[in-house]
Amino acid sequence: MTLSQEALKRRAKRRTAETRFRSYGIIALGIAGAMLLTLFFTVFTTGISAFWRHEALIEFQLTEKRMKIDPTASYSDADYEKLARSAPYNLIVKDAMYALFPDVKKRKHKKHLGKMISYGAEIALRNAVLKGKAHVGDNFKLWVPVSDDLDTFLKGYIDASLPEKKRRVKDNEIEWVHKLQDNKLIRSSFDWGFFTRADSREPEMAGMGGAIKGSFYLLLVTFLLSVPIGVMAAIYLEEFARQNKFTDFIEININNLAAVPSIIFGLLGLAMFLNFLGFPRSAPLVGGMVLSLMTLPTVIIASRNAIAAVPPTLREAAIGLGASPMQTVLHHVLPVALPGILTGTILGLARALGETAPLIMIGMVAFIASVPDSIVDPSSALPVQIFLWVDSPERAFVAKSNAAIMVMLGFLLVMNGTAAYLRHRAEER
Amino acid sequence: MTSVKFSVNQLTVYYAIKMGMQNVSMDINDRQITALIGASGCGKSTFLRCLNRMNDLIHVAKVSRCTWDEANKAFVPTADATGAVLMDGDDIYAPTVDAVELRQKVGMVFQKPNPFPKSIYDNVAYGPRIHGLAGTQDELDQIVEESLTKAGLWTEVNDRLKQPGTSLSGGQQQRLCIARAIAAGPEVVLMDEPCSALDPIATGIIEELMGELKKDYTIVIVTHSMSQARRVSDRTSFFHLGELVEMNDTEQLFDNPENDQTKGFISGRFG
Amino acid sequence: MFVLAGIIVALAVASYFLAFRRAGHWGETQGLKHLPRFHGNFVVTWVLLASLIGWAVATASFIWVRKKPESLDPALIDMLLADQPFYSLALSLIFASFAFLTVWFSTKAGTAVRRWLETTQRRVMLVAAMVAVLTTVGIIASLVFEAYRFFELIPIQDFLFCTQWSPQTAIRSDQVAAAGSFCVAPLLVGTLLISFIALLVAVPLGLYSAIYLSEYASPRIRTWTKPLLEILAGIPTVVYGVFAALIVAPYLRDSGAYFGVSVSSESALAAGLVMGVMIIPFVSSLSDDAIQAVPLSLREGSLGLGSTKSETIKRVVIPAALPGIVGGVLLAASRAIGETMIVVMAAGLTANMTVNPLEAVTTFTVQIVVLLVGDQEFDSAKTLAAFALGIFLFIVTLVLNYFALKIVREFKEQYE
Ligand SMILES: Nc1ncnc2c1ncn2[C@@H]1O[C@H](COP(=O)(O)OP(=O)(O)OP(=O)(O)O)[C@@H](O)[C@H]1O
Ligand SMILES: [Mg+2]
Repeated sequence: MTLSQEALKRRAKRRTAETRFRSYGIIALGIAGAMLLTLFFTVFTTGISAFWRHEALIEFQLTEKRMKIDPTASYSDADYEKLARSAPYNLIVKDAMYALFPDVKKRKHKKHLGKMISYGAEIALRNAVLKGKAHVGDNFKLWVPVSDDLDTFLKGYIDASLPEKKRRVKDNEIEWVHKLQDNKLIRSSFDWGFFTRADSREPEMAGMGGAIKGSFYLLLVTFLLSVPIGVMAAIYLEEFARQNKFTDFIEININNLAAVPSIIFGLLGLAMFLNFLGFPRSAPLVGGMVLSLMTLPTVIIASRNAIAAVPPTLREAAIGLGASPMQTVLHHVLPVALPGILTGTILGLARALGETAPLIMIGMVAFIASVPDSIVDPSSALPVQIFLWVDSPERAFVAKSNAAIMVMLGFLLVMNGTAAYLRHRAEER
Repeated sequence: MTSVKFSVNQLTVYYAIKMGMQNVSMDINDRQITALIGASGCGKSTFLRCLNRMNDLIHVAKVSRCTWDEANKAFVPTADATGAVLMDGDDIYAPTVDAVELRQKVGMVFQKPNPFPKSIYDNVAYGPRIHGLAGTQDELDQIVEESLTKAGLWTEVNDRLKQPGTSLSGGQQQRLCIARAIAAGPEVVLMDEPCSALDPIATGIIEELMGELKKDYTIVIVTHSMSQARRVSDRTSFFHLGELVEMNDTEQLFDNPENDQTKGFISGRFG
Repeated sequence: MFVLAGIIVALAVASYFLAFRRAGHWGETQGLKHLPRFHGNFVVTWVLLASLIGWAVATASFIWVRKKPESLDPALIDMLLADQPFYSLALSLIFASFAFLTVWFSTKAGTAVRRWLETTQRRVMLVAAMVAVLTTVGIIASLVFEAYRFFELIPIQDFLFCTQWSPQTAIRSDQVAAAGSFCVAPLLVGTLLISFIALLVAVPLGLYSAIYLSEYASPRIRTWTKPLLEILAGIPTVVYGVFAALIVAPYLRDSGAYFGVSVSSESALAAGLVMGVMIIPFVSSLSDDAIQAVPLSLREGSLGLGSTKSETIKRVVIPAALPGIVGGVLLAASRAIGETMIVVMAAGLTANMTVNPLEAVTTFTVQIVVLLVGDQEFDSAKTLAAFALGIFLFIVTLVLNYFALKIVREFKEQYE
């Protein structure tokens, strides 16, 4: 078969059009993938350093004079603790730094020297004294965190070649820290405390323990509210309700709720739970209530699908034996539907874990420097902590924010992985 | 001397506006096997499900008693089913009757074996458990053993009671379902094509079993197999297009059908 | 407090066993029809329900007490408020005990307690199903109520027809609160601008991804690339916000500077781009569904006429799947309008009335956050304005969503 010149041309053109069209799809997916990779990459590279921090080995002199404690006197335990708690550890830390560099005399330079060490040193020292590891009169050596600026410098994020005025770490500080490094008095260690400490104004002391625990409480409340209510609602709609106007109405409601922007739920929480019902501000209890209302549609829809997928022959078998409809559901349908319900619930909770806007509405953005002890204590949450930190001017906070993202994504990965595994197993059966 | 277990009077079922079964009246004898035969869709299952009020669970199904409407020259359903089915003389559609309690007395075995996704033991023990038939674990064990024995399954499964019921063969599963039904302590067992999913050998075993069971239970069975109806049943009723055409002693019905339709059906012709 | 909670739990447990035992004795004489278990469960259900109701009643009463009504002695009010959990639990206990006694004396040997129990359980389930309705009612009620108070302070025409949004000035000089500085127009423009940019990114990317995945990709590629889109959908918005604020916005500013264009460090473009990436999955998954729902016969008809695959897709499949795709786009638009964190972190707080994507603009959601963060008097026009914005947002997203679902549903019915 021979084709005219023109037809050949047209065929070639159509072929290229075909390839071009096809490549658009690959490009689109490629862009999406590249965005995702960039996101993960930047989060990782910015955040990873925040898991480590630099510490200096400093020798502290717990002199009687400074501590204002007489080692020969016999105090009652309570008195001793009071004294030990209120001793001026900040001065002791400064003394130790001056002692390290005895030739620094100028007041301005001494001030620089003093701020090289984090106030975390004072806390560590106090804990050592309170726990009886260090005693009055001792010379006590301890690894203590350095200040966040110095830490940032040591991690290599501050360019020493910049003019001195433009950087937060001054020339003399750099000189001193090099001296400490030469004497092997500086080390970088994994900061386990980052996972347990509460937030702080000082980046090197800020941890996400408060946020993690807050998020845990939030999810706990969300779970405890949305699962029973959601599963009961699903059972009712799927097994007992007759199809009529009223159930249609409920169904429309559920579908609409699933589409309402999360910030609106925050407004609901603010107006209803805080202002009208007088629940405590910033508390995981209220946050969890708001999140559970948000999660409810997910749980209901997933549970209904799981219940509807249970074969009717199972119900017939139970009913035929004289089980009541309620017994049939509770004894037979629900156990079979459970993996599906669980999958939906976990996915709902994973979404709730990342939700930020509604929590901001109910006051969970407040700066909270303590780890919450219960669901009614003021608390932060992981996503909110990320939001707060990323807004801070200090570079160290930005790193911490990205580190917190890594942790949160880790939790999400575990949750979604579990859901996927459960679904996979249910499909196999 | 046979006594009547069910007395059905002018029973009618509509699915929404579609007639499922109309104006059926018959007596079902105690401790006998009654077979229901007829073409597909003629209302056999519908009838069977009225005897333990399983139709109550289908929202569109409306069970009632019909009356003859002189004006229209037709049967029309009344508002409710009061008096349509009497069991031992008691109206099972009376408002005071709890359908759940009724279903304990009238058990059911389905076309496809449908064991619970639980162990063999738990399958059989479920009925006694929910109805509180056993006070102690020993009593429960005994009920399970008895029921499995009656269903002819005990020797095959007594060493693997903890295994899932779904791990059995199809025929075994169906016998498990029978054991499960009789463990709940029924007086009547309804069977809707219990052998249609089974091979001839398993069918044979179950037919034999039915012969045993009728000493203790009233059995109503739907079957598509003429020969099965003939082999196992004492009485047979023939349904056509939602109506009961003829009911008689099995031998009488098969050897000497009174109705032409019946004759056509049992000889393999429709007409 | 814990003692009281303990007593309630103990009462529940004890009531179960008491009812169980009593019914057991009945059972011996009356046959096993009345299972002791049902009696136990029935009484326990009511004890727990009653304590919940008691707690709710107490909470409701405290709303009233907190308003310090004059009919109550101030000392009593202080005493009550000092220990709210204690008094709430005490009321719970009273209700629970009452329920126990009522059930105890109203059940007899012949009572159809299983039916009662199941009716109760069914009612509780119905209430659970009603929670969704109550939530909607709660949302509408709180929005409408607070917004009404806002419009009492600021006339609605000042809210709708003007050009300036500067709630800050209103707060500083309370007297000029009605001076017309609350005005939605700039917010509307900002919201639409950002959503438009987002859709400009998401629609082509999402649509082409969906076409590729459903028409060209082998099953293997599909199983590997679908999770990519699911991950995009699963990443919390605050993470996208960080990405927009830390990476995309500085990048745009720097590259703008390189080309001599001034790009604000918080720009509509940065927020819109990242939001676009975020909503890709919404477009792609619904488009994917729609494309796959197009019957094979339609494609075969076109292929049989000698069209190439891409021509078939463009001329037959996409037109046929269009309603589903439009539904997905509407849903994505609704998401974009309601999205908060990305815009809070990357779009800026100043209300510029501009359609220049390189400048900072603000949106409804951003302003709701700005108005409500920090401790304010709850009665000021500033805080109330957030609820007026909330109504807007609620209605817009609901309408978009309604049409999206309607279109998709009708589309599905067409091919069923
Ligand atoms: N749940 C239902 N909803 C609507 N119509 C139904 C329903 N169940 C049965 N029917 C209708 O009622 C009529 C009788 O059905 P039934 O199941 O009793 O027939 P059958 O004699 O058991 O048939 P088969 O031998 O195929 O099992 C049929 O026309 C059927 O379509
Ligand atoms: Mg049938």
